[in-house]
Amino acid sequence: MMRALAIGGFLTAILLFAGVEWASRREDSRVPSLGDVCAFVMRYAVGPVPVGRIGLFGFWWWLGWHFLAR
Amino acid sequence: MMDHSRELTAEAPRAWDRPVVSVPVLICLSLVGGQLPSFSAQANLYTLGTGGALIWLGLNNRVPRRPAPRRLTPGAVWWLLPVTVFGVFEGATFVLSVGDDFPTFSRLADPLLEDHLVRSTAWFAWLAAFWGLVRR
Repeated sequence: MMRALAIGGFLTAILLFAGVEWASRREDSRVPSLGDVCAFVMRYAVGPVPVGRIGLFGFWWWLGWHFLAR
Repeated sequence: MMDHSRELTAEAPRAWDRPVVSVPVLICLSLVGGQLPSFSAQANLYTLGTGGALIWLGLNNRVPRRPAPRRLTPGAVWWLLPVTVFGVFEGATFVLSVGDDFPTFSRLADPLLEDHLVRSTAWFAWLAAFWGLVRR
């Protein structure tokens, strides 16, 4: 029962990700795509240090290591 | 003058920066990655090596970048919905830590990633998204 709840919850989250991305790609959509959100986050910098870029790269690197190397 | 030269670079992509080159390269890297078993030194080194190379490319100006939006529209809050749902379930399964009875996303994905084809597909998704980030 709890296992089905967890699977259902993660599937719902994945479907929501796909749904919002689909909505963002419609003509005249007011929802930015996930790529645009990431690009906006990556603009953040403290002085000359691209904190947003380093943070997002680091997160994605860790995610790949977590799922694909261990 | 600097901005003008950047625009010219963006309009004339380099040969290796086209999908006809980058996609086959990513597929080859993914097929190799898909053969490496979990918890192996090779898998660790390969993940650190490919990710490190992409971060190096992403932090210098060798790869042309697509322009980023200066501000987000209010519709961006919709992204909080899937993030929150995922975060609630990942947080709950992680904190309760009762194994397969209420598994985390990682625990659910592990058996699927044991298959070489699924593992290579996951590698491709990770590398393609990473390449997309490098170019933003």
